[in-house]
Amino acid sequence: MKFKNVATAGAILVASAIALSGCASSTPAATTSATPSAAAVDYSSLSGTITAGGSSAQANAQAAWTTAFTAQAKGVTINYDKSQGSGGGVTNWTAGSYDFAGSDSPLTKDQQTAATLCGPNGAINLPIYLDGVAIVYNLAGVDKLNLSAETLAKIFSLAITTWNDPAIAAENPDAKLPATAITTVTRSDGSGTTKTFTNFLSQTAKDVWTYPADSAWPIAGTSAQKGTSGIVQAVGAGDGTIGYADHSAIGELKAASVSVKGKDFVAFSPEAVTSAFDAAASTTDTGIKGDLAQTVDFTAISGTEAYPIPLVSYGILCTTFKDAKQKELTTAYLGWIGSDVGQKVAAKNAGAAQIPEKLLTEIAASLELVK
Amino acid sequence: MSDRTSVESVSSTQPRQNTTSDSTTPLGGGTPAPAASPKRSTRARPADAIFRGLSTGSAIFIMVILAGVALFLIVQGMPAIVANWQSNPELNDGFTSAFDSFWAYVGPLLFGTLWSAAIALVLGAPIGIGIALFISHYAPRRLAGLLGYVVDLLAAVPSVVFGLWGIIVIRPFLLPLSDWLNTYLGWIPIFGGQVSTTGSTILAGAVVLAVMILPIITSISREIFLQTPRLHEEAALALGATRWEMVRLAVFPYAKSGIVSATLLGLGRALGETMAIAMIISPAVIVSFLVITEGENSQTIAANIALNFPIASTLQRQALIGTGLLLFVVSLAVNMIARYIVTRGSSKTDGKKKSRPKPLVVPTGDATSTLTRDLVAEKNTAAGPEGASA
Repeated sequence: MKFKNVATAGAILVASAIALSGCASSTPAATTSATPSAAAVDYSSLSGTITAGGSSAQANAQAAWTTAFTAQAKGVTINYDKSQGSGGGVTNWTAGSYDFAGSDSPLTKDQQTAATLCGPNGAINLPIYLDGVAIVYNLAGVDKLNLSAETLAKIFSLAITTWNDPAIAAENPDAKLPATAITTVTRSDGSGTTKTFTNFLSQTAKDVWTYPADSAWPIAGTSAQKGTSGIVQAVGAGDGTIGYADHSAIGELKAASVSVKGKDFVAFSPEAVTSAFDAAASTTDTGIKGDLAQTVDFTAISGTEAYPIPLVSYGILCTTFKDAKQKELTTAYLGWIGSDVGQKVAAKNAGAAQIPEKLLTEIAASLELVK
Repeated sequence: MSDRTSVESVSSTQPRQNTTSDSTTPLGGGTPAPAASPKRSTRARPADAIFRGLSTGSAIFIMVILAGVALFLIVQGMPAIVANWQSNPELNDGFTSAFDSFWAYVGPLLFGTLWSAAIALVLGAPIGIGIALFISHYAPRRLAGLLGYVVDLLAAVPSVVFGLWGIIVIRPFLLPLSDWLNTYLGWIPIFGGQVSTTGSTILAGAVVLAVMILPIITSISREIFLQTPRLHEEAALALGATRWEMVRLAVFPYAKSGIVSATLLGLGRALGETMAIAMIISPAVIVSFLVITEGENSQTIAANIALNFPIASTLQRQALIGTGLLLFVVSLAVNMIARYIVTRGSSKTDGKKKSRPKPLVVPTGDATSTLTRDLVAEKNTAAGPEGASA
């Protein structure tokens, strides 16, 4: 009798725990329906294991890529560990545990040559994943919101504290803005999303935003949440909240249209991100052959077709591999990711934008240099 | 408690005696003593040596592990502790950039750790002790057993699940309370400030922490309460004490040191909690007593490590390990204080039993009328709980 009671209570607890975790993990899981149309290269002769890890922003795309790639290369196993984040990924890769690292910020020139793992020729950064930073908000009665970079900077530096502030009202003449206090929601953990967003603010609203680009949020007094899902949860739960997040993870939340300057407010779309990245990104000259680290000049983004806050993430690998077999596997996989098919898989299954075509050609050329 | 330890000490000395006597017995004697005889001298079997080796090895192993962890924390944390935080380029970047020294960085974190744990204790300890008392003295036997199991089950819930529960259930649940506290009790400093709209407050974190420390406080207190000498309880009841008076006069004084140590062990649990805090609270590395704001919640050491570790550079990682060292020291101190109180408390009450038999004499008169019963109860209270229990 007693045991029966306990079993029932236990079952109830377990059931409720499952129900709760079920609620929380409502983010779209990387689907397994990736079926690339035509593979130009025959990957079926490959076999072995690729070990990689790092950026959690890439995680959904990596899962989709892994599924699609291993469908063609049946002998290949790919382990991408997203638990470490970009910094942890680079650390593990430097220590020799990974074949490549996923990172939201490219290695600096010093880091590239300092990595003893790679020998004298150093390491290269390949932009393989593109997405946008969405400005998510939750404000009763406001379904459409336009914000310029300058107003965003004022909101996120806590200079504007209520929604009916003249600066916001001027950009949203049609909206009925309430006097609700603004709660800005930011990341409490370090993040490439934060770095991209603070970089955007520091470039486009210099007068208001006086902090440098940083992966840790620089200002106290905001609602700081753990992870993109933490931001999405907090913004959704509060009234008068505004935050920033990878677009692919925002779920049902409303996202604002953004302009760099003036009234050309652009809503997020993958095409608009690709177009903006095409206009704003240029390859940084690090002196290392084949390196494709990108410098994004946000002020160069304009017009009604380009979403102003693109977010790029990199694959980092050595130019000289110690093991010829791992070199073959890794370059084949990254080469496939950097193909039109690979980019379409990420767009379809992970909500990513596609890397501009001219950059894809350069990625293929860089991978040719890897020995 | 003292009974238990004496039993343990006897049983622990026995095998040692056995083995010494075994080694003196000549080999190949081959005289298997009858199993019923308690004073048999048995031959040393390999299992004895193996088991003794295993248990001794385990005991040494845990000491080595503990020393290893402490050494790791010191060696890894030291470079950041002694580094110049004002001029070092690595430390002037990212999450450590706003601080002038290691101590300026770890101070607010240490405060946040203690503050959140203190709130959790204030909320959780009375409830935990209440549950323990209900289980040991009030509940029908069947319900008591069930309740005990359920509370223990609570300890098996992973903290990340508690974190999700905190985000999805507790945060919105506490919002009306926060508003009410801010509106009507806002003049009390801790309820002031800009009230949170998402519920991501240290209050929400502490409520979840309080639930997480319930099992440890409840199970230890329950065991202590159940050990209250039956005679003390019956004596109190026989003198006309009500159930509550019996608990107050007989159970609490006996269990006082046990309650304190249970609470401190709960505190130790709260100090080290990471995941739930990292998920629920919107942190800032500041010293702040405010409990219902969004942007002014003091961060804890453990959550800070979890949140910043992935982006830390080498020296920053060492700084985080340095904060971990401090947490290690604080937890160790809390546990040592708990043990000290337990040992001191039990020996003190033992001594008092002998030196102060006085209150037992008080109610010798006619305790028949209600009036005198009340008087006796009052007198016992005045004599102090320790005296009355003896």
